[in-house]
Amino acid sequence: MNDSARLAIFCGKGGVGKTTLSLAAGLQHAMNGHRVLVVSSHPISELALAVSLDGLSARFPQAAPNLFVIYIDPRDLIADLVNKYFPVPMMAKKILNSSVFTNLIEVAPGLKEFFFLGRLQELSERRGAANPATSAYDYLIWDAPASGHFLSTLRAAKNFEVFLTGPMAAAGAQIHRFFSNRKNIQLFPVTPLEEMAIAETLDVAKAMATDFDLTCSAVLLNCASPLCSATESDIAKMQATPDSSPAMHFAVERGLTERQRMVELRERLSLPQLLIPRITNWANDLDLLVRIGAGMDLSQFS
Amino acid sequence: MKLAVCVGTGGVGKTSVAAAMALAQAKAGAKCLVLTTDPALRLKTALRLKDGMYEQQVPVEGAKGELWAALLDVNATLDDAVRLHAKPANQEKILKHPIYRTIANSLAGMQELMAVERIDQLMRRGFDNIVVDTAPSRHALDTFDKPVLFADFSDSKKVRLISRTYKFAEAVGLTTVGRGAIEIYSRVEAIFGTNMVKQILDFYSLFYPIAEGYSARARKTVALLRDPKVTEFRVVTIPSKAVRDGAFFLEELKKRGFPAGMICVNRTWLHAMPETAAAGLAAEVLDWYRAVSHSHLAAIEKMTAASGKDVREIRVLRELERDVEGLESLRILAEQLENPLKWTS
Repeated sequence: MNDSARLAIFCGKGGVGKTTLSLAAGLQHAMNGHRVLVVSSHPISELALAVSLDGLSARFPQAAPNLFVIYIDPRDLIADLVNKYFPVPMMAKKILNSSVFTNLIEVAPGLKEFFFLGRLQELSERRGAANPATSAYDYLIWDAPASGHFLSTLRAAKNFEVFLTGPMAAAGAQIHRFFSNRKNIQLFPVTPLEEMAIAETLDVAKAMATDFDLTCSAVLLNCASPLCSATESDIAKMQATPDSSPAMHFAVERGLTERQRMVELRERLSLPQLLIPRITNWANDLDLLVRIGAGMDLSQFS
Repeated sequence: MKLAVCVGTGGVGKTSVAAAMALAQAKAGAKCLVLTTDPALRLKTALRLKDGMYEQQVPVEGAKGELWAALLDVNATLDDAVRLHAKPANQEKILKHPIYRTIANSLAGMQELMAVERIDQLMRRGFDNIVVDTAPSRHALDTFDKPVLFADFSDSKKVRLISRTYKFAEAVGLTTVGRGAIEIYSRVEAIFGTNMVKQILDFYSLFYPIAEGYSARARKTVALLRDPKVTEFRVVTIPSKAVRDGAFFLEELKKRGFPAGMICVNRTWLHAMPETAAAGLAAEVLDWYRAVSHSHLAAIEKMTAASGKDVREIRVLRELERDVEGLESLRILAEQLENPLKWTS
């Protein structure tokens, strides 16, 4: 299957590096001449607080025009709908500015998530492996919010189907079908080799299978220690002459724990694993993204 | 009574740091409680908390004071509020309302509302210190905006008017209603469908008495959070995020009038280096550790230069070899809090 036909989702616990890996994957595609759209969970004004793309066009003039990063604010989508529904600007403005309307949108459970999913599906379908000539970009990546919000976002469509009636319920059913079809979705859970993050990865993988009939493509093991990829014999040699300094004690103990967790995770979740080493020093965020992207070939996973 | 509110993004170990802060104070003789609002419920593992909404004491050997822990259980807190504040005749109607189920099931929104409700409940229970662990987000401070928004909405005369008129219109069989706010309501209804808007308004008309009392309590709680004699906000971060998080959260706190007191840099790799040279894999591991360690030190110094003047204190905690899970790991963190690490090179 052509991967570009699907929406690639980077999901996982908060702070595991979803944004960094999404942008690294996006930049990598862009450097290979593909047009990429990354839907970020950070408002663009705040994205640089997570990972900054400063200096992109100066440093990668060929890649820059291929990489699009957007944030979808569901409030804008709802406002668009109101504007479309009431072509008389006065009327639309009156509704959008009314406190009943704005408060209703804020507190209506799942409404914003529902609109967000609708737009994501639309972006995904508009793109086209089927029709490359009219397609604006080749790859679509969703840098998803942290697990809890990610799952409640995906479940919003199903909730609309279950709890409401009429056109909103029908739309909910249709969106839920789209996000439950593995022909449309490619899932990449991101996790460091830490207990809590791994537990969330297992929970998300399970929820995806039971609620959405989706299987993850590969688990991305972020910030891994060099000991995760070392050979058994090198580790044995190192342990033969132990170094008792606090720094080495920490680095070895932690690295070996990570290595053990990697094996345990493989036993509990039979998915391909990809090690993303912890980068130690980098000049700027772009530098970091290029180095991560170079070691992260996702096209190998189905 | 003092409140410490920990804010920070995901993956910085905020829950563990909050629990360790409470533990350190309990060891020193205070009656302390840590409240976690984290849906991942990490504190549950760390403090071996059982399900249920009520706080419980955590046995700590050799502590002069007491350590208590509480989980924010959104569903239980909300059900409890309904049973406590709604008219008996309305209780079942609310608990079985389709919108109530959706609200209670969606973490977005209710989490924030119930956090403030829970802080209010706990402040009456005679603790010397309460440490609050907020939801892991750059927008965690919304926790303290949303209740006011919700209160305004439930409070709004328009909503009450609409609900009443809606009931009236429904009773006399009218499908469209009058002017002003009601006109807007019918427009909104035209877009989202009768069902959804009707259900939401119907729900709020039932929920109103709860929201009314809630709104008064929320306003009081938020006022206490702004009082520097009672509350201190603490930014928890990690080295790679320290510079940006420090600046961002201090600015957000300032905007909302919340007092900032501490930046706590967790998970630093500042362990003492070996004196002898290593070889083979050991050398590779050590070089790797040293490079990370240097980047951590540089980040802490940069953050201190930029944000140090805006807080009472900057604390640096070393990362533990293993994940913080048992009480033992919290003890190690608490000891680091009691004996501040000197980090200048």
